[in-house]
Amino acid sequence: MRPARLFLESPHFLTILLLLAVAWSVTNINWGGPLLHTNGWQSALTLVLAGFMPELSPTFLLVCLRAAWQTLAIALTSMTVAVLIGFPLGILASGGLATPGSRFQMPAKVGARFILGALRSIHELVWAVLLVAAIGLSPLAAIIALGLPYAGILGRIYAEFLEDVQGEPLDALRSSGASNVQTLLYGRLPMCLPDLVSYTFYRFECSIRSAAILSFVGIRGIGYEIQISLGDLLFGQVWTLLFVLLAIVALVDFWSGRVRHSLLTS
Amino acid sequence: MRDGIDDLLRNGHGSTAGLLEPAPLAVVDQVTKAYPRVTALSSVSMTIYQEERVALVGPSGGGKTTLLSLLAADLQPDSGSLTVAGRTLAQKLSRRELSSMVGIIHQQLDLVPQLPVVHNVLAGRFGQWGMFRSFLSMVWPQDYTMAAMALEQMGIQDKIRERTSHLSGGEQQRVAIARTMVQAPRLVLADEPVSSVDPGRAHDILQLLTSLTEGSGRALVASMHTPYLVQQYFSRAIGLRDGQVQFDIPAAELTPAIQSDLYSLSHPESDPPWH
Repeated sequence: MRPARLFLESPHFLTILLLLAVAWSVTNINWGGPLLHTNGWQSALTLVLAGFMPELSPTFLLVCLRAAWQTLAIALTSMTVAVLIGFPLGILASGGLATPGSRFQMPAKVGARFILGALRSIHELVWAVLLVAAIGLSPLAAIIALGLPYAGILGRIYAEFLEDVQGEPLDALRSSGASNVQTLLYGRLPMCLPDLVSYTFYRFECSIRSAAILSFVGIRGIGYEIQISLGDLLFGQVWTLLFVLLAIVALVDFWSGRVRHSLLTS
Repeated sequence: MRDGIDDLLRNGHGSTAGLLEPAPLAVVDQVTKAYPRVTALSSVSMTIYQEERVALVGPSGGGKTTLLSLLAADLQPDSGSLTVAGRTLAQKLSRRELSSMVGIIHQQLDLVPQLPVVHNVLAGRFGQWGMFRSFLSMVWPQDYTMAAMALEQMGIQDKIRERTSHLSGGEQQRVAIARTMVQAPRLVLADEPVSSVDPGRAHDILQLLTSLTEGSGRALVASMHTPYLVQQYFSRAIGLRDGQVQFDIPAAELTPAIQSDLYSLSHPESDPPWH
């Protein structure tokens, strides 16, 4: 004979208990005042509506263009620095230069990886604060501040791409007498070039956003203008600047697509 | 132009041994190679002479590929020795020395698909180049005429600047042969050169491989499956099964019956004799 089920064992009992607990919690939590401050809804609405009425006066557009140029220039130069530092370090970190198992391979690899790690473990904003303190508010500070951590990121990813290249073409190169440098130049590099290029473009996109953000330490550019307009509560101007930033990123994306396409098919 | 490349291939190697008195080019002496589960070669010996074209026949797993890899110095034997052009392969050989001794054409061709054809051909010269020339060649292909002549002999000189991945399978096979041609090794090895091509192309490829080794003090060793192609293009046939030499006969004597015997004696899970 089946034993009679206790009331406490019923699943319905648990459901009801939980529902009661939820109902009780809702009435008992102290929400700490309204979710938005007084007139909060009003300001939010103003900000959103301004998106449909961006400031388009010629003088302001000129300001936008100038700011866009500054940001783009900082992004481009810092990416150049990042590639120039990151690429050789990435090759060293991939261990592709030294003979496998030779006594130079491990120290070179570990050393390069350590440098790359150190570079990217410090955020670009922290680099910027340090560099502005050291060399003042100049574009040079911005370029180095962005270039160093980006070199760390690029080098790390380059190393991984280069290391992941495998297969018979590499073995065939080696067995027909190719050195490590030759295997790198005519095997590893061409085989992962599309990946390297498209990742570099992706990072270029990121660097544009980062360059805009550097205004928080006082460096000129789109972010700087956004800060000023926001301070004056000129939301129309803020939106115009945001659209310009969007346009630049879209343009870079389009460009990178074209380059990648031509690399894969040419 | 054709004479040019032949001169090119002949130069640098002083050997002018006559056909009447063949000189040994490669000596395989009591070579044994075992993998964790199976013995791939057990105490195999053979001597390959200049001007010879040797077909290795036998079922898959019989030891053909292992023997080719050992001759290419991609593998080292467990015991025994291999000698090519008077040099033991176990010796610490420089890239330059090894690449002028043996060259191997793999079944999958193993070209770098993203590179222009010229660089894939010139890879055969890497053993002779230093670091500076290797860098320079990226923008200014070195030994360009050599590559052009090799490709001309292959009949695809118009493809020299093309991206390798754009070439057809047959054209890529010619690029791989052209690579070995500019490498100019004494011993040319080919792993299943015609196993996955149609009969017409098989004749083409074997003709090109034959021309690569003709009259130059070289030798060709290739793993093969089809008896009539062996009879037509090779001078000697060596049957390998279970890591041992089953027969070593003039290629003309390799009848389908002999080859069937070689296969039927083997394990049931081995490949069927006809591909």
